[in-house]
Amino acid sequence: MRRRFAYACLVVCSIAVFSGSAFCSPPVQRLVLDNGLVLLISEEHSLPFITFQFLVKAGSKDDPPGQEGLASLSASCLALGSAARTMEQIHEELDFMGAAISSGANKDYTAISLRVLTKDVGRAFPIVMDVLTRPIFPVADVKKEISRALGAIRSSEDQPGVVADRTFERALYGSGPYGHPTEGTTESVSKLNRELISAFHRTYYHPNNTILVIVGDVDDGLVKKDLRPLLEKWQRKAVPPWKGQAAPSGKGRALTIDKPVTQSNIVIGGTGMGRDNPDYYAAQVTNYIFGGGSLSSRLMADIRNKRGLAYSVESYFEAQKYAGSFQVLLQTKSASTNESISAVMEDANVMRSELVSPSEMEGAKKYLVGNFPQRFGGQSKIASFFGQVEYYGLGLGYPKEYPSLINSITRDDVLRVARTYLNPDGFITVVVSDLKAAQGK
Amino acid sequence: MGRAAKRAPFPCIVFVFALAFCLAAPLYASAPLSARVSETTLSNGLKVILLENHKAPLVSFQVWYKVGSRNEAWGKTGLSHMLEHMMFKGTKNVGPGEFSRTIEQNGGDDNAFTSTDFTAYFENLSADRVSIPVDLESDRMGGLLLTEEQFKPERSVVMEERRLRTDDNPGAILVEQMNAAAFQVQPYHWPVIGWMQDIARYTVEDLKEHYRTYYCPANAVVLVVGDFKKETLLPLIERAFGPIPGGKAPDQQKDREEPQTGERRIAVRKEAQLATVAKAYHVPNLRERDGYALEVIEALLSAGESSRLTRLLVREKQLALTVSAQNDLLSRDPSLFTISAEVMPGKTSDEVEKALAAEIERLQRELVGPRELEKAKNQLESAFVYSQDSLFYQGMILATYEVVSTWKEIDRYVPGVRSVSAEDVRRAARKYLIPANCTTGILVPIPSTNGKPAQPASPSRENIVR
Repeated sequence: MRRRFAYACLVVCSIAVFSGSAFCSPPVQRLVLDNGLVLLISEEHSLPFITFQFLVKAGSKDDPPGQEGLASLSASCLALGSAARTMEQIHEELDFMGAAISSGANKDYTAISLRVLTKDVGRAFPIVMDVLTRPIFPVADVKKEISRALGAIRSSEDQPGVVADRTFERALYGSGPYGHPTEGTTESVSKLNRELISAFHRTYYHPNNTILVIVGDVDDGLVKKDLRPLLEKWQRKAVPPWKGQAAPSGKGRALTIDKPVTQSNIVIGGTGMGRDNPDYYAAQVTNYIFGGGSLSSRLMADIRNKRGLAYSVESYFEAQKYAGSFQVLLQTKSASTNESISAVMEDANVMRSELVSPSEMEGAKKYLVGNFPQRFGGQSKIASFFGQVEYYGLGLGYPKEYPSLINSITRDDVLRVARTYLNPDGFITVVVSDLKAAQGK
Repeated sequence: MGRAAKRAPFPCIVFVFALAFCLAAPLYASAPLSARVSETTLSNGLKVILLENHKAPLVSFQVWYKVGSRNEAWGKTGLSHMLEHMMFKGTKNVGPGEFSRTIEQNGGDDNAFTSTDFTAYFENLSADRVSIPVDLESDRMGGLLLTEEQFKPERSVVMEERRLRTDDNPGAILVEQMNAAAFQVQPYHWPVIGWMQDIARYTVEDLKEHYRTYYCPANAVVLVVGDFKKETLLPLIERAFGPIPGGKAPDQQKDREEPQTGERRIAVRKEAQLATVAKAYHVPNLRERDGYALEVIEALLSAGESSRLTRLLVREKQLALTVSAQNDLLSRDPSLFTISAEVMPGKTSDEVEKALAAEIERLQRELVGPRELEKAKNQLESAFVYSQDSLFYQGMILATYEVVSTWKEIDRYVPGVRSVSAEDVRRAARKYLIPANCTTGILVPIPSTNGKPAQPASPSRENIVR
């Protein structure tokens, strides 16, 4: 078999002029190896180090029912030992180089990243490939990792925002693939074991299910000599197709959780959209005006600046591969819980009933388009940007297309999106609070 | 990850004591940084520090004032942070909120943060927009309005911020209480955000006085990193900031802590899931060579999975869920070396404390081996290189050095770390990491007094019953 790179696409730094501002996206090369691995390489040589990000297309949405937390635990068990190295050797060698490795899952995918000085890449990269493709998941260490995961779940219950978020997602997505926390629950994680983790790895960790982004002080010579041979050894295997059924979204209701805290942690929201929804860009503009624009949004102006009710109030569309939500988050002292919730609902109703002003529209577009280059401020940001572009199928022309995707949105689009998604009657409202204080008792 | 990956929405970050992670790792490049940085002092005393970096068409524009919680008075703690909030509330030329709106409409992100030693403002935006923060920042250096009308609701916002960051966060309360116990004389005694009662006590007059005293060119630093030409940018800065009356550099001398005379111990009893054990020792900062030995000790104890505390307490014995050691190298006044550990369910804080003590005794007894010492230094140096990746952090680290000492000191970081010997490590451990110099803090979880959810929230009860 010939082993060659297929050069699918080559995009060089493209300078485009949109809305009067020029911006330049980093150069990127896209290659697909014979084993199906998609490789994206972005060279920038001002600093002597490289960031690698592997994106394996399996996340908590792929956790089987009753095994919630499996994707996350699989990611954190990778470095417990491999066919060639013990856990101690892996950590000792990487730490000696000052290399930083991390792995974790989100709802859609698992990311494994390595940051290493250029001079050490020839020694660090084989370790990461070994960990990624030949982990052995030693029983005793897996057990310890499970105890740690359980401890972390327990510890996170001290964060009212996390408690509110988990409750909201469960209420919205129910028992569907997006309804459980990525890290799982105490009940589900206690039941995980080495066999399940190993099976998850065998099912999903394959080159044809993986994107690798390499950013920084990398060149063709290095790719050819030190990286490509190892990547090509990784064998292609069939990956089961996504069969998940997004559960119907939960109905509008109010949920409260009693906790001895001084503030109410509030999440208000409902159904959103997947990343491939054509209204995604209209939703970005709508959200910026409503609650996304950090200090200039309507929610900020009303709830923070005018009423002084909250330090932070924001909204966002969380767009996953197969589902999404719209959420407003805020924290306020117990006594102003009801006033804050009413204010959010009123502000949402205004968005639904009137066109936004032309100047708000212009401000949103200027920010979204003008801020785009900030996504390239550093190797990790660039790696994560191109990884997502590939995962969500946006195409490498995305940076160039982005301004027109935003600039084509009209005030009517915003009104339509607001009417669809900013719907107080259908909203789920979660309040984590000292309930007696919040209800004025 | 979904939530964590989002852009942090919070305007106005309070740095709760010292600078933590990123400053464990300042920047470094093949050529010494001093060769690439230019410094100019305008006739009104304003220092301008410029670092050209052309890798992307972006700039980070920053203004740093040498005022933080160390410059406050008892009874008005947190005033610097309150003033930071008010800096977005308008001048006679720029209306309330207009500052941030203008930056956003130019595609930029702006924010600010306050620490014990400084208050800093930044705008990250495309290089072709750099004149916009020049105009806006010079405007608010001279002409902040500070009205009662803007102040009242913003004070409520700061109170909400305190509830969010501290009052509802058991770990943050522990840190606050430990600082209050470790420092009795030095202003690091009180929290950057201030005590709640003090926040309630501020007046517009207090803010005006603080602004007049500390927000003058003679007490400020303008720092820009990114894709610009010094020949073009410096004249812009001179034209905008030059006419502001220089003012008088304020007295920055503050009382120092007397040497600690014995063990101190505090407990925080709060509803929490896990106990936490923390130990804080008074240490010298970058002004003394031992500061670098303590950097190495920090790395030996908790940098990476193979570090001593992580390997032993987290992996082998499973006594702790997390451990961390942190040396406050970059501080204006001497600060603390802190070790903390979250206790695993089923283990006790006593067990964790004993294990921590054993590891500290080991540092005092045995010389660290050459390979382990080399590993710690490699980790510190590589972290130093990685931290140059972002323009914002490059600027932030340079400016922090300038505020606590001089930016030129940054060139000493890697050589300083490299020169530490195994003897230095043992000597520093014997000198500073001793019980008589230690404040121990324990977060003791107490059972919840609140009941079950008022309404069953979802099919999974475990999500809601607590």
